[in-house]
Amino acid sequence: MKKLEFVLIGLIVFASGCYKHNEPRVHLRDEVGSDTAGSNIVTRPVKYAFSALIGEGIEITNAVTRRSDAGFLELYVNGRNASYNTRRFRYKVEWLDADGIMIETKTSVWLPMSAMGKSPFTIKAVAPRPQAVDFRMDTRKWE
Amino acid sequence: MKAKVLFLIAAVCFLAAGCAQETTMIDTRNDEGKAVMALDYRDFDMAASKMVQSMLGSGALKKQDGGRYVVATGRIINDTTQRIDTDQLMVKIETEILNSGQAVMTSAIGSGSDELLHDTRELRDSEEFDQETVAKRQTLIAPELTISGKIFQRNIRYDRNRQQIEYYFQLKLSDVKSGLRFWQDETLIGKRGSNRSVSWE
Repeated sequence: MKKLEFVLIGLIVFASGCYKHNEPRVHLRDEVGSDTAGSNIVTRPVKYAFSALIGEGIEITNAVTRRSDAGFLELYVNGRNASYNTRRFRYKVEWLDADGIMIETKTSVWLPMSAMGKSPFTIKAVAPRPQAVDFRMDTRKWE
Repeated sequence: MKAKVLFLIAAVCFLAAGCAQETTMIDTRNDEGKAVMALDYRDFDMAASKMVQSMLGSGALKKQDGGRYVVATGRIINDTTQRIDTDQLMVKIETEILNSGQAVMTSAIGSGSDELLHDTRELRDSEEFDQETVAKRQTLIAPELTISGKIFQRNIRYDRNRQQIEYYFQLKLSDVKSGLRFWQDETLIGKRGSNRSVSWE
């Protein structure tokens, strides 16, 4: 009898871990899509605990800049929240001119950002001066 | 006995002095202070930053034939329960519009007008002033664009002990000649806190 229970639990764990949908641009959250190893009621606590144990958090994939039609530098920072919990943080973008000097602007303030668990996110920022050619970005915990 | 009482009074005074809250300067660049239910400078900084980025990023201030637009600040309505000087928001936005190099603000008309511009024109008949230095007629430049907007709040009972306050910052940029709206945006700042907190300071 115990063997049967073990087999059933094993099946649930493996079956939930196997599911993958083919469209990476669509994110199905818990209780929307089919169970995965991270969302299955049996395996979820283990996955969450492991994620917290190894300290998963925000990861930055890349930062893209482009010049808008209006002549301002636009910044798109793409990232992913690797943890299972929503991560709230603040970020500040500072703009640099061709000499690498920081441009003083009222827009360089700490702004709030939130990324849901296991989800991608994008931060967009626009330089308020045409002289901006580069940027630096800082983050901090949402107090 | 007397010495004991004196000692006790001195000890109480000493302890009480230690309890007084000392005044500290706010680190406005990296303020880690707690959020408050009312609007504070961080909310205005955030709203202004988002609005400026949205406005400049939209390209609404880029003049087709080159040159710079002349922009006047219109009425910014404060429809909150707080006594807000709307310049707290608008000065930041006006500064960034000016520094962007795409537009100039006018002080001749609107809520940001300078009375002295008109007062100095009344010196035209004065014999005390060199008339060559007095501004001539038809020298003021009319605005091409106006910025106006509104700040309002909604108070919502969240649960028995907490309330939710939503602050909406709305701005719009309109063309004076055609009346067409070139840009508009809204920034929402939401706060949840104790029912005992007040937001009408």
